[in-house]
Amino acid sequence: MKKKVLTVDDSRTIRNMLLVTLNNAGFETIQAEDGIEGLEVLENANPDVIVTDINMPRLDGFGFIEGVRRNEKYRAIPILVLTTESDAEKKNRARQAGATGWIVKPFDPTKLIDAIERVTA
Amino acid sequence: MASKKAAQKSLSLAPVLDLNEATALHAQLMGLKGGPLVIDASAVERVGALCAQVLMAGAKSWEEDKQPFTFAKVSEPFMKTMQLIGVNIDHLLAQEARQ
Amino acid sequence: MDMNEIKEIFFQECEEQLAELESGLLKLNDGDRDPETVNAVFRAVHSIKGGAGAFGLDDLVSFAHVFETTLDCVRSNKLEPTQDVLKVMLKSADVLADLTNAARDGGSVDEARSRTLIRELEALANGEVPAAAEAPASKPAVAAPKAAAPAPVVEKPAVNDEGFQPIPFSFGDFDEEPADRYVPTCQILFRPKKDLYAKGNEAALLLRDLSRLGEMSIYCDMDSLPPLDKMNPEEAYFSWKISVTTDKGEDGVRTVFEFAEWDCDLDIRTIEEEVVGEAANEEELPMQPVPFDLSILDEGGSTGSDEEPAVIESDAAAAVAAAETVSKVAQVASRAAENAKAAASAASAAQANQAAAAGQTIRVDLDRVDRLINLVGELVINQAMLSQSVVENDTNGTSSINMGLEELQQLTREIQDSVMAIRAQPVKPVFQRMARTVREIADITGKSVRLITEGENTEVDKTVIDKLAEPLTHMIRNAVDHGLEMPEKREALGKNPEGTVRLTAKHRSGRIVIELADDGAGINREKVRQKAIDNDLIAADANLSDEEIDNLIFHAGFSTADKVSDLSGRGVGMDVVKRSIQALGGRISISSKPGQGSVFTMSLPLTLAVLDGMVVTVAGQTLVVPLTAIVETLQPEASAIHSFGASQRLISIRNSFCPLVDVGRILNFRNTQANPMDGVALLVESEGGGQRALMVDAIQGQRQVVIKSLEANYTHVPGIAAATILGDGRVALILDVDAVVAASRGQSLRQDISLAATG
Repeated sequence: MKKKVLTVDDSRTIRNMLLVTLNNAGFETIQAEDGIEGLEVLENANPDVIVTDINMPRLDGFGFIEGVRRNEKYRAIPILVLTTESDAEKKNRARQAGATGWIVKPFDPTKLIDAIERVTA
Repeated sequence: MASKKAAQKSLSLAPVLDLNEATALHAQLMGLKGGPLVIDASAVERVGALCAQVLMAGAKSWEEDKQPFTFAKVSEPFMKTMQLIGVNIDHLLAQEARQ
Repeated sequence: MDMNEIKEIFFQECEEQLAELESGLLKLNDGDRDPETVNAVFRAVHSIKGGAGAFGLDDLVSFAHVFETTLDCVRSNKLEPTQDVLKVMLKSADVLADLTNAARDGGSVDEARSRTLIRELEALANGEVPAAAEAPASKPAVAAPKAAAPAPVVEKPAVNDEGFQPIPFSFGDFDEEPADRYVPTCQILFRPKKDLYAKGNEAALLLRDLSRLGEMSIYCDMDSLPPLDKMNPEEAYFSWKISVTTDKGEDGVRTVFEFAEWDCDLDIRTIEEEVVGEAANEEELPMQPVPFDLSILDEGGSTGSDEEPAVIESDAAAAVAAAETVSKVAQVASRAAENAKAAASAASAAQANQAAAAGQTIRVDLDRVDRLINLVGELVINQAMLSQSVVENDTNGTSSINMGLEELQQLTREIQDSVMAIRAQPVKPVFQRMARTVREIADITGKSVRLITEGENTEVDKTVIDKLAEPLTHMIRNAVDHGLEMPEKREALGKNPEGTVRLTAKHRSGRIVIELADDGAGINREKVRQKAIDNDLIAADANLSDEEIDNLIFHAGFSTADKVSDLSGRGVGMDVVKRSIQALGGRISISSKPGQGSVFTMSLPLTLAVLDGMVVTVAGQTLVVPLTAIVETLQPEASAIHSFGASQRLISIRNSFCPLVDVGRILNFRNTQANPMDGVALLVESEGGGQRALMVDAIQGQRQVVIKSLEANYTHVPGIAAATILGDGRVALILDVDAVVAASRGQSLRQDISLAATG
């Protein structure tokens, strides 16, 4: 069975890049545009892994991660943070919110897939 | 009143034994304490360290209670993961499973 | 979708983000301190940087990064967004836009300018207060700003014709080591904390990845595992001692734990191969070798649940052999299961698609939309004709056909509205571009200008919007360059040293009216007149009204600037502006008050639009008057009509006088004036705001009509805005109310044409 990835990013460009990269790598991809939509989509999607941006309108990545971790049904899902911020502070906040790992933008396809493989069975 | 020894209970493990399942599994085992237990791990697709911990703690408790705690059937992924994380359950495998 | 398409999307998105950025900065400039505004601004730059990075647009990335860093200081309240700070930021937004355009279309950017701004931004981020008077932008940059940016300093990418640069592809972190190199062994102590599991990491997966590095032995320490009833199922009790022989070395091991190292105790030591045995003996741990084939763990879905359970012997080799059989069986089983799941997964895929569809857009060829709009137009006409013939043939009027027709009419109208909405867009993006124009000219001229925009959400057809930017830009340049005074002069005149330019859009009479007002000196009529005489535009002794003098600036080659400045030196005059507005079927006029400023008013059609019109008869012709223009209709009484002059008449309405305009006379439908008592007066409001009573012979009724442009076939017809086809198949002309009103003021409709021809 294909692994299912939920991506949450407000940038159309990044969403499309993720979609192409993940589909090419044989993943099933579901997309949301911000944290609020991400939490909504999550309810029916039951993904194997989540890839999320940090800076987003309405509900940012930190809030989204906290939301997932508070969700009884989905709190175990690995979450990778996709962000241009490579600095320790952002990573730290993401980790404190409950992120599993991170991918530094601009991501290269191998690293993205590699990170997903690392946190999923 | 039926003898407790005769009341062998069985427990079928869920396919995915992740963080979420650890608490449920723990509760299930707690409810089965006191009698012999046969575990069916044949449906297991994925097992995480937390559930492995719960199972091993169960094995320990059953041993203290001097009750048998056996894995009747195990799936390949279950067995391999146990081996991978260095948890030896050979001594808990039922005769049939060991063949 | 390929990368080029994604890149196209990226540039589209950049445009949106740049607009967002600018409007956010302007809000901040106006004193808005809402954190969400700052966040939105930050996000815009951040998003551009992210996409630019993915496409290797290094210049854009470097600049965006510096900009973002400074914005982050504002976001974290380290930097107060004062007007001086925002001045730098607004200029940076402009440069960011330039860099984006350069990345898309090629071409160059003003490097000195961007270097200067990078320095200014960095200074702001470092807590330096911006100098009130900024340094000239042309100073050669001493420090290469690129060095300060974290963007990978690769060779400047050779951008090919499409401007596409492949993403550098990296094949992992490690180069293949020569095979004959000595292979080190790592001893690892791994003690997870509770958080490791809570954050979705999994010790078993980490160990799996570790085992892929090389030959691995493992010992699981269960000593701290409490009895079942004392344990917290989500607490971490197990810890591991691992020995792995790998050519990836300690770094490779660390990479495996990259995500987990904060949530575990980790000790990694590399030991010499020769002493592995010793070390292991020292530890005296019953290390368990880990099976090398772990592929089964990657295929989460495959189980042999209904088959005989997996047969495991303590002999590892036998286990592997057995595993192979089992996994084959499992594969067959899982294939069957997959078929069964097909339906379910299709359903869930549909659901997923639905979720992804939220807020999506599609791009459609404009031609297709236009064809649709035309077809709907035909549909509306057809429906009207059908209604009419039913009414004519059905006398009782209560049949179900009539009810059905009413519904059809309703539906047709809704379809039409929806189709029109596809093409209609707010003028906002054009207005936002003007903000930049104002800033640039203010900078060049040394004037202080504030742009106020109103009615940004007024919608107009896309074609109109596209063609609006150029004339508007020029008019804004003019307003700032020629209209506004220098700050010192303004102060001396008792005005606010900061000049105001107000850009307004609104719908009126089925047209869009765009007004550009400045609070500058107004038209210097003496100078304009002199210039016109010098250029032989008018005779030296010509007697011109103020209005006529003002309108001289629309003549070809007319420029009031004493010297050819950087701005007006581009060879574009107001005549060109007038021509481009006219080409859009629009009109432009000016009204000016000395010392108080000038107002340019442009009125443009909402092309392709539908019109609610009043169908009237004038001299045997059927005309349509836009309903939006009509204030009220009245039946003139003889006592209310007053004549003055040779042919002028006024009508008194509720004690005020209003010029009476005979439409038939103006349009040359007849040579003599009609008797007002035989007709109907339509009180209209023209774009200048004045009221006129338009005389028509009779009112036929109100209806919605589809505008059919005449210009394609007949060029511009003075006094007529467009044509339409009525329900009975007759063609009716749509009256251009403003033109008729203007003509009634003495400017004949003909003159308008001659101006356009010479202009």
